[in-house]
Amino acid sequence: MSHLSPVAQRLRVTFGKSGPLIYTSNLDTAKIWERVLRRADLPILYTKGFNTRPRISLAMPLPLGISSECEILDISLRERIDLREDELRERLLSVSPHGLTIGAIVEVDTRASTLHSLVDNAEYRIQFLDDIDRQHLQRRIDELLSRKTIIVDRVRRRKRSVMDIRPLILGLRLDNHDNLIAHLSVGDRGNLRPDQLMEHLGLSDLHHKVHRMELRFLPE
Amino acid sequence: MVSASIMDPRRIESQLERHLLAVEKPGRYVGGEYNSVIKDWARADVKVALAFPDIYDLGMSNLGIMNLYHQLNQQPNMLAERVFSPWLDMEALMRQGEIPLFSLETKHLLRDFDLLGISLPYEQLYTNAVNLLDLAGLPLLSRDRDERYPLVIAGGHACFNPEPMADFIDAFVIGEGEEIIVEIARAVGRLRGLRRQEQLREIAKIQGMYVPRFYEVEYNDDGTICSIAPKEPGIPARVLKRIVITLPKPFTKFIVPNIDTVHNRAPIEIMRGCTRGCRFCHAGMVTRPVRERPVAEIMSAIAEIVKHTGFEEISLLSLSSSDYVWVEELAEEVNRVYKDAGLSLSLPSLRIESASADLLEKIGGTRRSGFTFAPEAATEKMRDLINKYVPDEQVLQTARDVYSRGWRTIKFYFMIGHPEETLEDVQAIIDLCVKTLNEGARILGKKATLNVGVSTFIPKPHTPFQWAPQDSRESVDRKQRLLKRQMRRGGMHLRWNNYEDSEFEGWLSRGDRRLGAVIRRAWELGCKFDAWQDQHQHGKWLRAFAELGIEPDFYNFRERDLEEVFPWDHIDVGIHKKFLREDYLMSVKGETRVDCRDKCFACGILPKFAKERSTTEEMAWECPPVTPINERRRARQVAIPLSAIG
Repeated sequence: MSHLSPVAQRLRVTFGKSGPLIYTSNLDTAKIWERVLRRADLPILYTKGFNTRPRISLAMPLPLGISSECEILDISLRERIDLREDELRERLLSVSPHGLTIGAIVEVDTRASTLHSLVDNAEYRIQFLDDIDRQHLQRRIDELLSRKTIIVDRVRRRKRSVMDIRPLILGLRLDNHDNLIAHLSVGDRGNLRPDQLMEHLGLSDLHHKVHRMELRFLPE
Repeated sequence: MVSASIMDPRRIESQLERHLLAVEKPGRYVGGEYNSVIKDWARADVKVALAFPDIYDLGMSNLGIMNLYHQLNQQPNMLAERVFSPWLDMEALMRQGEIPLFSLETKHLLRDFDLLGISLPYEQLYTNAVNLLDLAGLPLLSRDRDERYPLVIAGGHACFNPEPMADFIDAFVIGEGEEIIVEIARAVGRLRGLRRQEQLREIAKIQGMYVPRFYEVEYNDDGTICSIAPKEPGIPARVLKRIVITLPKPFTKFIVPNIDTVHNRAPIEIMRGCTRGCRFCHAGMVTRPVRERPVAEIMSAIAEIVKHTGFEEISLLSLSSSDYVWVEELAEEVNRVYKDAGLSLSLPSLRIESASADLLEKIGGTRRSGFTFAPEAATEKMRDLINKYVPDEQVLQTARDVYSRGWRTIKFYFMIGHPEETLEDVQAIIDLCVKTLNEGARILGKKATLNVGVSTFIPKPHTPFQWAPQDSRESVDRKQRLLKRQMRRGGMHLRWNNYEDSEFEGWLSRGDRRLGAVIRRAWELGCKFDAWQDQHQHGKWLRAFAELGIEPDFYNFRERDLEEVFPWDHIDVGIHKKFLREDYLMSVKGETRVDCRDKCFACGILPKFAKERSTTEEMAWECPPVTPINERRRARQVAIPLSAIG
C-alpha cells in the first residue's frame, strides 16, 4: 500500500496552564511544548525545510491571562512509542515547567482532522477577586440574555464592521461561589473572548481571573 | 523613591494578579520557568539578588548572570534569585501601586536580600542601574546605605573603569566572577552585624574587589587626575583583576524562558581571551590570558543542554572562533553527532578566510544563520593602524566561497571614526562592499545580499587607543553621509550608529568619578534605557552636564598626554600601561604586531599571574615563551641528548 505518511503515531494530549504560564502567549506555549518534548526525548517528527520545527499543533488559542485545564495538543511522532498513558504522562511532567498540567493522552488516527477546525464553544469560569453585589450582577446577566441582538462595532484588520454577538453567548450564570460561568462560541465560525463579554457586561473594572474549563467540538 | 512599606511576597503576588494584564508581555515579571531555582528562603543563610539592569528579554540571554546564579545556588546555605528592569509600563504601574522591585523567584523585595549584584557589561546601563536601586527602595548613594541595606556590588566589562559608577556601588568585582562571587557571599554572611564601613574594609581584602570609598582622587588644575591613592593602610594601591586559571565546567541547566526573548538559545563559551591584539578591542585586552575548553567538554555540554533545556539552538561563543585551536575537530564532532538532530549550532566570530566557509558548512546544522565577518577597515593604512589586517583579495575570496555554497547573505562589520581616517578610507569600505556584492551577484544573481554594519569607533580604557581622541560630529557626519549616499543600492543594507549614542558612550567609557553626579542628574531628569536608541535622551544628558558645570567634550575629544594619569589606572587588568603606550605609538607610525601566540610582546599577563600560570600546563594559555617559538624549537633540538634518539 502506498500510503507513505511519515507520521508513525499521533498523540492527543489534554493539558492545563496555570500560575506563571497563564502569561505565556499561544505561540510561546507551542515553543514550551517543543522543548518539553525534546527534553522528554520523544521521537518527534520535524517539518521539512530550512527552519525545521516539531510537527505539533494546538487546538485553540488561549487568550493571555487565562488559566485552563482543557487545552489540546496534537503531536506527530516519526516512530511509534510503546508507553502506557500514565508512563508517558509521568515522563512529560518530569520535564515540564511549573504550571503545566497534563490530563488524558490518547492515540488518534494519523489522518484525523486537526482539532482546530472542529472547536465550537468553550466554558469559562470568571472569578472575582473582590466581593461582588450578586443581585446587581444577576440583573446585568438577565438584561443581557433578554436581548435578542447585541450589535457591536468591531475593528478588524483596520476595517470597521458591525456584528451581533448575542448568538455567541450560549450561556451565562452565577454559580454558588459567585463565579460567573460563561459559555461562549469560539473558533472560526464566531468567537467571543471573556474580556469582550466582561466589557459588554460593564464589569471590566472589577478585578477578576478567568479559567477555561471545557472546550467542546463539533462531531467529526 | 518607592517606599518599601508593607509589601511581602504574598501581597506582591496578589498585586500582580490584579494588575499584570495591563502591561505588555506580563510573562517578564512572573518567573516560574523551567530550571529556575526556588530555595527555601528561611533556610538560606546568604541571600543574593542578581540584577541585569535592562528588561527580562535581554537579561535572560546574559551568560554571566546565569553562571553566577548557578554557582551561588549550588551552595547549600545560599540562594540566588533574579531581577530585571521593568519596562516603562510596568515601572509606572509599580510606582503608582507602591510596589517595590521584587525578585522573580520568590517575589521578595530587593531590600530583603543580603547582597545585590548588578551586572554592568556596558555603560549604557548606568541610568538603569540607578533606577533599579530607586525602584528597590534603596538610597542611591553608597554612602547613604548602612548595614541595614543589602551590600550592592557590580561587575562586568564596563567595571574595568568603575569610576563613573563609584558613587552608587559599594564594591566592584574586577575581572571574572565565577569564583569570587561565592567568596563575597560567604564574606557577607560572616560580616553580618558589623558596621557597613567595617564590612567593606573586609570586602576590600578579597583579591579582585574594588571599594571606591577607600580611595582618594586628586585632580590637576586642568581637570585631569593627579593621583588616585588608598586612604588607609591595608587597601591595595592597585586592584588586580580576578581570573579563573581554567574555565569552570560549562553551565548547562539554563533557565528556559516561558516567553520569547532576544537570544532564545543556550550559549557555550568555547574560549575566553584573544591573542589577536586588535587595538580598538576592549574585550581582547581585558580578558587575557586565553583559556580554551577541550572539545570533549564542549560536546558533553551540548548533549547536556539538549537534555536539560530542550533548546533548539546553541551558540559556541568566543572572541575569535577561528583561533580556538581545536576548531576543526570541534566542527567535525558537531557534524558527526548532530547532523540530523534538528539542532542548530552557531559559531560566530570567524576569521575572514576560506576555511571559515568549511567550518560553518559542517557546523551549520539546519538553520543557517548566515555569515558574519568583521573586516573593520578597508585600506592598508587603517588596517595597520588598528592592527587588524585582512587583504581585500582574502575578503573577496571568502565571499566567493560563501556565496557559491548557497548562502545568500553575508554580514560585514566595519568601523569608522578613527581621527586619522579620511574620506578615502571610508570610500574604500564602500568599494570593497560593492565588489563583494558583485561577486555574490555573479554567483547567485539578485538573491545575493550584503548587510553592512558600520559602527563608530569609541576609544576604550585599557586599550592602546585610550590616549586617542574620539572623532568629531562633523567628521563622522561626513563619513556617514558618504556611506549612506553610495550604499543604498539593491541587495545592500547599511546600518550605522547615531552619533549621539556614540558621543554618550564615549563620555561614560573614559569617564571619571565626577560623572557620578551627571549620571544621577540625568536620571533625575528622566534618563533611562539609554541602550535603547528610541529611549536615549541626549538633550537631558547635555543639560545634566551643563547644570553641574562639567564639560562633556573633555572626556571625548582630547588627545591625552602620554603620561596622563587615567581614572582607571588603579584598576589592573594584567596589562602594563607601558605595553599599551608602546602599541599606541606603533599605531601612530602604522606599525603592526602579529598574533601574540607567535611572538610574545610582554603585555604583562604572565608576570602578573605567574603563580596561577605555574599550576597550568605550559601552553594552557597559548602564551609562547618570551623567546620566539622557532628559536625555542632549535634550542630544544640541540638539547636532546644523542642517547635519546633511536
